[in-house]
Amino acid sequence: MHKARTVLDRVLVVAGVIALWQMASLSAGAYWVPAPWPVLKTLWAMAQSGALARHASYTFQAAAWGFLIGGLPGAVLPFILRRMPRLSAILDPYLVGGYGIPKLALAPLFILWFGIGIESKIAVVASVVFFLVFFNTTAGVRAIDPKLVQMARLVGASELLIARRVIWPSAVPFIFAGLRVSTPYAIGGAVIAELISSNRGLGYLVQLGAMNFKTVEVFAAILAITLIVIGANALVNGIERRLLRWRPANALNKDAASGGM
Amino acid sequence: MNAAAPLLEIDGLGKRFPSRDGRSMSPWVIQNLSFSVKDGEFVTIIGPSGAGKSTLLNMLAQTDAPSEGEIRFRGKPVREAGARLSPGLDCQIGYVFQDDTLLPWRTTIDNVLFPLEAQGRLDDASRARAETLMKAVGLNGFERYYPHELSGGMRKRAALIRTLVYDPPIILMDEPFGALDAQTRVQLQEDLLRLWEAGRKTILFITHDIAEAIALGDRTLVLSRAPTHIIGDHSIDIPRPRNLRDIYAVPQFAGLYETIRAQVQ
Amino acid sequence: MITTGRILLGLALLACWEWGHRVAGNLFVASPMEVVQRLREIVEDGSLWGHAASTLWITALGFAIGFFFGVLLPFLLDQSERATKAIEPAVLASMGIPKFALAPLLILWFGIGDAPKVVIIAFMTFYMIFISTFSGLRGVDHKLIVMAKIVGADPMKLARDVLWRSLQPYMFAGLKVALPRALSAAIVGEFLVADKGLGYMIEHARQMGDTTGVFTGIVVVTALVLGLNWLLERLQAKVMAWRPKDASVAH
Ligand SMILES: Nc1ncnc2c1ncn2[C@@H]1O[C@H](COP(=O)(O)OP(=O)(O)OP(=O)(O)O)[C@@H](O)[C@H]1O
Ligand SMILES: [Mg+2]
Repeated sequence: MHKARTVLDRVLVVAGVIALWQMASLSAGAYWVPAPWPVLKTLWAMAQSGALARHASYTFQAAAWGFLIGGLPGAVLPFILRRMPRLSAILDPYLVGGYGIPKLALAPLFILWFGIGIESKIAVVASVVFFLVFFNTTAGVRAIDPKLVQMARLVGASELLIARRVIWPSAVPFIFAGLRVSTPYAIGGAVIAELISSNRGLGYLVQLGAMNFKTVEVFAAILAITLIVIGANALVNGIERRLLRWRPANALNKDAASGGM
Repeated sequence: MNAAAPLLEIDGLGKRFPSRDGRSMSPWVIQNLSFSVKDGEFVTIIGPSGAGKSTLLNMLAQTDAPSEGEIRFRGKPVREAGARLSPGLDCQIGYVFQDDTLLPWRTTIDNVLFPLEAQGRLDDASRARAETLMKAVGLNGFERYYPHELSGGMRKRAALIRTLVYDPPIILMDEPFGALDAQTRVQLQEDLLRLWEAGRKTILFITHDIAEAIALGDRTLVLSRAPTHIIGDHSIDIPRPRNLRDIYAVPQFAGLYETIRAQVQ
Repeated sequence: MITTGRILLGLALLACWEWGHRVAGNLFVASPMEVVQRLREIVEDGSLWGHAASTLWITALGFAIGFFFGVLLPFLLDQSERATKAIEPAVLASMGIPKFALAPLLILWFGIGDAPKVVIIAFMTFYMIFISTFSGLRGVDHKLIVMAKIVGADPMKLARDVLWRSLQPYMFAGLKVALPRALSAAIVGEFLVADKGLGYMIEHARQMGDTTGVFTGIVVVTALVLGLNWLLERLQAKVMAWRPKDASVAH
């Protein structure tokens, strides 16, 4: 009964937002704020003509490559550094500093180096994802119970076995947390890089609409990106939940600050 | 003021909570509970887990409203029907909670001084009193420690003297020594009795431990399982001052212990 | 030993930079010496301060607006469980909106002044502060509130000594994430549209093919953000000495 009320409330909220949007459109004029329905129609038209898919797949490629190129070393490096405490102590301030650097501010540099093609977008995404995954995985590697490792050593397990059987399973949730947190940043980073300079991709689509003063297209493109980000979030959350079913639900540490881009 | 009236009267008290979905009421936790407490009395209350002991103290402390019945303080109802709760009854009722309620961002001494600060009664005299109390329970030297730097027993002591420091006439204590080792526990019991004998406050003390109930109290109430009511009211006629470490050797002890144990089961 | 290593690594990185400059040439990697030189120039002719002031101003303005609403809304929602449940998913979903992608639209609406950037920064700050305040309010220990009331604390004392102090760790967590991001949002915003500010300085240099300018700008921006992080870290350590040190945090 309570549930039904909550659902009803939520539907009302959505309806309210749409109504507000419609009203804003009426009072400001459809040129400045296009109404919800034309925006949906435009989005549908973009989807039908294949333009949406073309641009989205470009953005996706940049995000996916960047994800891979940044995420893989980010996930592996902490395991290597675990065995070399001294090296890791030396690297620490640089990595913390690197984490703090606004990677998006490096975009002009990447464009300078790699041109306005997809490579510069990949570089932006990779630099963002690397640090996110690295620090989450490091947290996981450090959270490993030293008693477990000691126990394994006492019963004569080899280092390789310890890494595979003790360290890896306890770090997996953290790696995943890193990947989950990175997902919206990967897409967002690609879009921003496209906004700064590109001739393809979802970010470019927004820019194009604005250049032609077609607010409907701008709205439609923004809506498309929003839906894609929400969808990607839901997807990784779903995968994580399936793979980590054995963990108590509240142990999945939620990143408080993923409202980033 | 009615001189004959007991300090605290609990009359036909009952409590039930709204169910989870808020549409109905769950069964009675406490029902038709009546007893009274004299000025200066040390009452120990014993009852099974989940009997509603904490719920009872919450109602006495005015942090939760009874579903029925009345509580009278010096003959006067503590709350007019429908009026707002006044937690602590204007600092007349102190409450040492079942779990830790020290403010983690204050040092030990600042925690102890918090009530005085809140009541605007912080001066040299009250400060000195706080220091005396700290010393009495062996917390001197730890004034500048934060709660997370204290042991569990020290935190309990700090919580205890935080209530003693502002001298409320009634103190409610909810299993204050529950999770401590035997040694620390006897230590704290002795501290508590000493402080009580010096100030003669009225204390309602909840415990799971029959021996503790007998050792400390003038009187022990035994509560039933929910819906809770009183099934035993025992006068503990062991003379004071008592030697807590040898309380088992006192002739009355064995008899009291047996009767109460039979009721608790 | 470790300190020596850190210094050596720093020098090695500098050497790498110089080496990169020699190998890749002036167009791709500016020379460190020239960057230092340029830095001195823009400090001396004052143009750095102008750009920095403009960036910091829009950061502060946007941050203040976002912070205000980010704190206010959770306090309002805290009054009603029902409202919270109704609005929460909508707020979470709206987090998916790519803030920077709004820039072209905001430029159409507000022109190319500071307004579009301020709106974007406010937006980003809002979400981060909203989330931390929201979870902070849920994390306040109810028992501490009850305790304070019993010992006679009035609402002011309660708000100051219990609510505010309980919120602090969350506030700081939010602040530490949000303030540097607000700054970098300002810079990215200036990439997209500006005629002054550090972001403009960098992007303008890139468009002019002035690699030294790009590097100098990035060095300034990096130093600024890292300095900000450091300051917040110090402040937090000071204000929250009462918290147990967590051995498992990254640094
Ligand atoms: N706020 C509440 N809402 C609903 N039910 C409650 C609430 N507080 C207590 N109860 C219920 O009331 C009953 C009595 O709880 P209470 O905490 O008073 O027990 P207790 O006697 O203090 O137990 P223990 O010895 O374990 O501390 C329990 O069944 C508990 O579930
Ligand atoms: Mg209890």
